[in-house]
Amino acid sequence: MRSLNLDRRTFLGGATALAGSSALSLPARAAGDVVAAIYPGTWDEAFRSIVAPALQETKGVDLDLAPLYAVEQIAKARAARGLPPFDVFVLDPGPRASGVEMDLYEPFDVSKLENASKLPEGFVDTFGAPVAAQVVGIAYNPSKLPKPSGWADLFEEPFASRLGLTGFQTTYGTTSLIEIAKIFGGSETDVEPAFTKIKEILPQIAAVAQPSAMAGLFQQGQIDVMYGNTQAVATLKGRGVDIEFAMPETGAIAFVTTMHVAKGAENPAQAYQYIDTVVSADVQSKLMQPPYNFIPVNSDVELLASLPMASLDELSTFVRHDWSVINPQRADWIERFNREVAV
Amino acid sequence: MVDRNRLEDVAYWLVVGGLGGLALLILTTPVVVVLVTSLTSEPSLQFPPPGLSLQWYAALLDPERSGHIHEAALNSLKVAAWSAALAMIVGTMAALWLQRHPTATGRTLDTVFMSPLVLPMLSFGLAALILITLMRFRPSLMWLTAGHLVVVVPFVLRTTLANLSQLDRALLDSSRSLGAGPFYTFRRVTLPIILPGIAAGTFLAFMASIDNVPVSLFLSSARTDMLPIRMWGMMESSLDVRVAAASGVLIVGAIVLLLVMDRLVGLTRRLSS
Amino acid sequence: MALLFVGFFAAPLIVLVWVSLHADQDMTRLGLDSWRKFLGDPFYLNVAFDTLLLGVKTVAGTAVLGMALALLYVEAGVRLRRVLLIIVVLPLLTSVVVRTFAWIVILGREGLVNQVVMGLGLSATPLRLLQTEFGLIVALMQIELPLMMLPLLAVMNRIDPRLVDASVALGASRLRTFVKVILPLSLPGLAAGCLLVFASSTAAFISQSVIGGGRLIYMPLVIWQQSVVVYNWPFAAVVSLSLLVSVLAVIALFGWLGRLSRGRIDG
Repeated sequence: MRSLNLDRRTFLGGATALAGSSALSLPARAAGDVVAAIYPGTWDEAFRSIVAPALQETKGVDLDLAPLYAVEQIAKARAARGLPPFDVFVLDPGPRASGVEMDLYEPFDVSKLENASKLPEGFVDTFGAPVAAQVVGIAYNPSKLPKPSGWADLFEEPFASRLGLTGFQTTYGTTSLIEIAKIFGGSETDVEPAFTKIKEILPQIAAVAQPSAMAGLFQQGQIDVMYGNTQAVATLKGRGVDIEFAMPETGAIAFVTTMHVAKGAENPAQAYQYIDTVVSADVQSKLMQPPYNFIPVNSDVELLASLPMASLDELSTFVRHDWSVINPQRADWIERFNREVAV
Repeated sequence: MVDRNRLEDVAYWLVVGGLGGLALLILTTPVVVVLVTSLTSEPSLQFPPPGLSLQWYAALLDPERSGHIHEAALNSLKVAAWSAALAMIVGTMAALWLQRHPTATGRTLDTVFMSPLVLPMLSFGLAALILITLMRFRPSLMWLTAGHLVVVVPFVLRTTLANLSQLDRALLDSSRSLGAGPFYTFRRVTLPIILPGIAAGTFLAFMASIDNVPVSLFLSSARTDMLPIRMWGMMESSLDVRVAAASGVLIVGAIVLLLVMDRLVGLTRRLSS
Repeated sequence: MALLFVGFFAAPLIVLVWVSLHADQDMTRLGLDSWRKFLGDPFYLNVAFDTLLLGVKTVAGTAVLGMALALLYVEAGVRLRRVLLIIVVLPLLTSVVVRTFAWIVILGREGLVNQVVMGLGLSATPLRLLQTEFGLIVALMQIELPLMMLPLLAVMNRIDPRLVDASVALGASRLRTFVKVILPLSLPGLAAGCLLVFASSTAAFISQSVIGGGRLIYMPLVIWQQSVVVYNWPFAAVVSLSLLVSVLAVIALFGWLGRLSRGRIDG
């Protein structure tokens, strides 16, 4: 009996020591990990070098990034009904709205973010939180073309024959085409004028291309003007490409990129810690620096002079779109675009 | 008669030489462009490069800056090696079976085996993901390999079948009548004839898997990150020159491998004779 | 093992058929609406036809160029053969990602071809090559040539050179020797190559959409848009299955014609 007692005490002591030592040697493992979808390219590189170490340091959470475009994240999560291949989405407004329709997100509990109060008002909701702003306008080659003053210019020479167009498959493409439609009398529900104008200049247009081909086409002089966001323009410019951003006279388009916790996520607690780290002032200001050029959403971050706005409050003065109106029409627009531009 | 023939022969060689030359031009020009571009001194893909440097190879091989690319490359190589090796076995077995059954059933099965090549891989990937999650599995390296296997088997099957059709039935019959067992006949008669086809098909299968985007897109996960998908992002958002350098490494590696294999084959041939 | 393989291909195929039989995007009710939409729309039938035509043109191009290169290969010495073999497989070693950039460099408005053409004074204005069917076929030929050449070479390597020598010694011209001796003997390899090229060029989504551009619309692009961008999976499944069936039908047709002609020669 005595010996048994001793044995148990020895055993318990040993176990405690073991647990203690493992907790000491592996503090990170205890906090778990999180799998987040991320846009391939700049976002992937930036999050790998800035967010992953910050998350590890402050919360002890390991970050695994799955490079996927927004539409692909939605398609993949929809196919995997209930077994999401990642814990956190990162989305632009179009795919975000699709995800809401398909009920792919956990209800978002903003109280779990320490930095919630620093985020711009009206952008946090029950679906997710903003992590970056995007400003879309016209990108052009300053050594080949004068600065375009607005969307209408793209349909006149010398711009029309140097123009590269993409369709409605991306958020920036869709919003740009809507702005073009508006100039010529259309609206969010009527993009007909854009189609009419595109058809007019179709014979001289430089390229109608997939978004993934645009950077290469621009670099090699196949096209000299296109629509694009400030981050992409700044990134390419930082790599020596002859490119400048032009703010259209009717205003540049702004939207926020948001993060969402996937329904059925394996690591929901770590997912919130991850999003919280992304929007923390320190990480946001690092992401803002070249070569990454993000537009931050944390109000504590002082904006660089090179950004298209002096403070986040200006966000509301930019052109904004209602995606609950746009999304239901998008399938038809994409089909229509195919038919109109097909040779 | 002879003169006319000679004239005809000259014309024949001119046409064949011209077309063959054009084929060489089409085959090599893009590769040369990629190699030259990868040597640029500038920070983005640009042709012609304003200056030359090996900096992008250094950046690509540096584990500090490109560790995640190495990881993706390793995953891609693993999946490609497994799916090509399995495709070699499945494809050869299927070809041998089909050769022995030139019936309507055989032709139908032949079509079935070919169809993964025809079905857009994007749809296959999507359907496979729906299926896997229906069975309550999560995508893993194993499922990814299985997915790749299905779409690369046709390469081995097709090339092996082409060589099998050269196999003279009489050879097999005489081997058998001389008392050779079926395995011995396969090893000494059939295999040497179809080996070039198997090798060509396996190589095609391996490369098709390495460069596959659509199936990987749906069946890979954050932990089974694949190389071509990563490279798309690097190319699209920042014209990252490492994308071109990766092709440079692959080309140099493959040429070295071919030369080494050539030496080894030559060596064994010399040793055995 | 073969059974397992067939299973892992057949099961997703069944999923596709099942998906295609749904009437609406959210897949709540069954119906043939998607099939009706595809088959009843001249635009989509046209896209299907263009896709098959693209495959046929690519096959024709690679077959002619591949055969010519193969003829040079068999004439070459051991050393040259090794070099040629490496050149033939080179395209497979460059990722599709960077290949698209290379074709912009070559076919672009300020590209290599246009510099040569304008340098020689053949044209005053740059030719439009990029984002045309012609440019796309050339780009496809590059990546499809290895698929044509490897089976072709594997077969031609085994043709007894004495047969060719005998034909020439008997006074046949080179052309006659090619038509009567080499071509029939290399037919299995050529057929295998054509099949691989046809199947893979009709399904080559990335080359078609990135090098071909937004104005050339083929079935794989429609499938991508419908499945990944607008999430209309029933319609995407319909287009996929239509592509599968029509390509297999073309392959079967060629196979049948091949057997027919062989039957006539033998008989």
